[in-house]
Amino acid sequence: MFENKTTGLLLVLPAAVFASVLFLLPVGILLSEGFAGSEGGFSLGAYVEFFSSELNNTVFWRSLRLGLWVMLTSAVIGYAAAFSIVQLSPKSRGRVFALIILPLMISPVARTYAWLVILGRTGLVNQVIVGLGLSEEGLQLLFTETAVFIGLLQLFLPLMIIALISSMENMPRDVVPAARVLGANWFSVFFRVILPLTREGLVVGGTLVFAGSITAYITPAILGGSKVLMLETLLYQRVTVANDYAAASVIAMILVVMSIVTNLLLKRLAKPRNRRA
Amino acid sequence: MKPSSTATGTIIGLTLVFLIGPFIVIILAALTAGNNLAFPPDGLSLKWFIKVFTVESFRISFFISMFLAVFGTLTALIVGVPAAYAIARYDIPGAGAIQLAVSSPLIVPGIIVGLALLRYLVIPTGFTIMAALFLAHAALILPYAVRVVTSSLQNLRVDVEEAALILGCSRLGSFFRVVFPNIRGGILAAFILGFVTSFNQVPVSLFLSGPGVRTLPIDMLAYMETTYDPSVAALACLLAIMSVGIVFLAERFLGFSRYV
Amino acid sequence: MSDFVSVDKLTLAYGDTVAVPELSFGIGKGELIALLGPSGCGKTTTMRAIAGLMTPKSGTIRIDGRDVTRLAPSLREVGLVFQSYALFPHLTVFENVAFGLKMRKAPNIRERVMAGLESVGLRDFANRLTPDLSGGQQQRVSLARSLVVEPKVLLLDEPLSNLDARLRLEMQMVLKDIQKKTGVTMIFVTHDQSEALALADRIVLMKDGRIVQSGLAEEMYSAPRSRFAADFFGFENILPGRDGGLLAWRPTAIRLGDGPHEGTIRGMSFGGDYRTYVIDSALGEIKGSVRAGLPAFGEGEKVRFDLPEGEAVRLEAA
Ligand SMILES: Nc1ncnc2c1ncn2[C@@H]1O[C@H](COP(=O)(O)OP(=O)(O)O)[C@@H](O)[C@H]1O
Ligand SMILES: [Mg+2]
Repeated sequence: MFENKTTGLLLVLPAAVFASVLFLLPVGILLSEGFAGSEGGFSLGAYVEFFSSELNNTVFWRSLRLGLWVMLTSAVIGYAAAFSIVQLSPKSRGRVFALIILPLMISPVARTYAWLVILGRTGLVNQVIVGLGLSEEGLQLLFTETAVFIGLLQLFLPLMIIALISSMENMPRDVVPAARVLGANWFSVFFRVILPLTREGLVVGGTLVFAGSITAYITPAILGGSKVLMLETLLYQRVTVANDYAAASVIAMILVVMSIVTNLLLKRLAKPRNRRA
Repeated sequence: MKPSSTATGTIIGLTLVFLIGPFIVIILAALTAGNNLAFPPDGLSLKWFIKVFTVESFRISFFISMFLAVFGTLTALIVGVPAAYAIARYDIPGAGAIQLAVSSPLIVPGIIVGLALLRYLVIPTGFTIMAALFLAHAALILPYAVRVVTSSLQNLRVDVEEAALILGCSRLGSFFRVVFPNIRGGILAAFILGFVTSFNQVPVSLFLSGPGVRTLPIDMLAYMETTYDPSVAALACLLAIMSVGIVFLAERFLGFSRYV
Repeated sequence: MSDFVSVDKLTLAYGDTVAVPELSFGIGKGELIALLGPSGCGKTTTMRAIAGLMTPKSGTIRIDGRDVTRLAPSLREVGLVFQSYALFPHLTVFENVAFGLKMRKAPNIRERVMAGLESVGLRDFANRLTPDLSGGQQQRVSLARSLVVEPKVLLLDEPLSNLDARLRLEMQMVLKDIQKKTGVTMIFVTHDQSEALALADRIVLMKDGRIVQSGLAEEMYSAPRSRFAADFFGFENILPGRDGGLLAWRPTAIRLGDGPHEGTIRGMSFGGDYRTYVIDSALGEIKGSVRAGLPAFGEGEKVRFDLPEGEAVRLEAA
């Protein structure tokens, strides 16, 4: 009864066209604009110019660096947290899991804003620092890479934990106790048993965190300001301050390429898992 | 041979403090009776929560965000449910390319889409910003709607539809009498997920704002740049409470998390 | 042709893979026939085509003189009891059974549904949700749902396979009873020869989408014509005869303890009334049954046996 492929196509086409016309087409035009020479024709001028600016280079490398740091840190914390969570009884595991997912449903503006209160000049952290006599008037924490790093980590850590939990739940039962009985210490249990068996979850979580971090807007906007620009805040600034659409197009290209690469990677790695399930 | 429960408990505790702690800080900070954002709060009062409701731009942008979230999600569902049905039931030619097109809003960073729509739709054709926002939000939600409804459909046996046909239903009739009642939970879950995604969305809306037309999160960002008072903290709390409330109810009545 | 249901040169395919090539058979009004064959031979596919859930590549299907080959399922006046029952999970038992009547805007729905439930013994379950019922109960709801709309033909896909032995017997009674009371033409599918024999007036035996043999149940049981049919109906010993033709014996037709041949007992299975021995011999593997009361043979024991030609069924070649 579902043999008629034309019917299927007609049902799915509006959605495909809707998404393509609104998302793919305009973005395609925007990207192509980055290759237009000043007198028409093809040119890489915009790219050469973009990367000849020191600020742009700084922002580009900063975005990659912060993305990597956030990814690595969330992996370390994520493993510890996920491994601890899967040890819980099913009931409390469900509760903790819900608490981990909860922040994902809350406005990122709200989530990031909280750090202003914590990291501000008279914020919680500085009160502790001054109180302990470590510094006279507190440290400049806001509008630093550290602040952006902390904000991004809080934003994306849940994704890593969720990915690792689901791949740990798919580990064969009792491999960890078995390895311990065989005399492995926690160090070798992690590197010889847990890591190889959860590699997929790590890659899924890692790419989500990395892609999320380098394409973040809200966190660098609130916690980094104009001092710590990242790719998207730079794009916003180039357009609103300088009307520099060539630079915008180059940044857009960087973001799109990163996003596509990440998604391809995810697809490849997520596939065998579905087949097994 | 398990790791000690003190160790795992500590790790979980610290992680939750890091993830959830800031919300508690901001709730307390918003309850301050003073005029500055501070922690611990300078006395307790609800005045900043009340202030939020008196800021006119917040009121306007709240309704804009609500409108986008509700009607954008409905539009996404109207377009997305038939697509999900086709994906779940038919062997569509070119399925890969079509899936890619439908999920493109998940892949293309939103800020670029906003900019591109502004430059190539709003400016040259005189399309209103509100209309562009609406379409962009609907398209943004589309992949979530399609994904959730597809998996809901995959859990419904195909033969009940066949039984309905044999008992005298038309194809459309069997969709509304048999399929729809059985995927209602999935559609509701898709609605909630779409609503929350749209309501919290920033990047797509960033460039799509103009005089009097701003979504709430964009308005908050703008307000923050000029005013450093606790009203944004209070608003952030209200939004967090709203999201948590919605998700809590959805989980309670739908088992929401299995759809996400 | 005066057949009530007739299937003529029906070819059914999934994509480019032909599952059923040029199938033809006919059924008289009020007959109860079994489509019998091993799993994957195309029985379900054939049923789905008769019900209109699958469009044939070629061929025609007629019901009560009307060509229904291209007709929508809703207009064919057939009932189908799915192997999985396919009950509507969001509806109660009553609503499930009433569904087809509502579609037809029939009068007296309440009475007809209750009568339908009565006939399958589920009157007291009217307000239950279907996922809460046992498999056997679900099947009876499905049967009542198909019957209340008074179809011209009732199709049943493996109606007995998912039931335990006791329920199976009960269901056989219910089906026979329905046939007697309503006179509806019934086609049921099974892969189990004993079910077909117990229930059907006539059996259509299929293999790889083709009909191997069809006929009255008793005729099929006692006179299979091909090796496949003989094997299917329990003639486990098939050997070439002196004239080059094939002869087939049931294990019970083999005489053990005495005879011209000799073999070694390799194994035994106990089947209640009979013990069936597997014997290695110069003729190949022979299966012979002996009444359980008689003295048993031991494993590895030499045994003499006879293949009485009078008890054999002569098969057409292959
Ligand atoms: N949906 C399908 N797609 C492709 N091939 C199918 C499908 N359903 C059944 N087949 C094939 O058609 C043949 C007949 O199947 P079926 O009618 O289900 O057999 P039966 O009911 O006799 O067990 C089998 O070879 C089976 O593999
Ligand atoms: Mg079958």
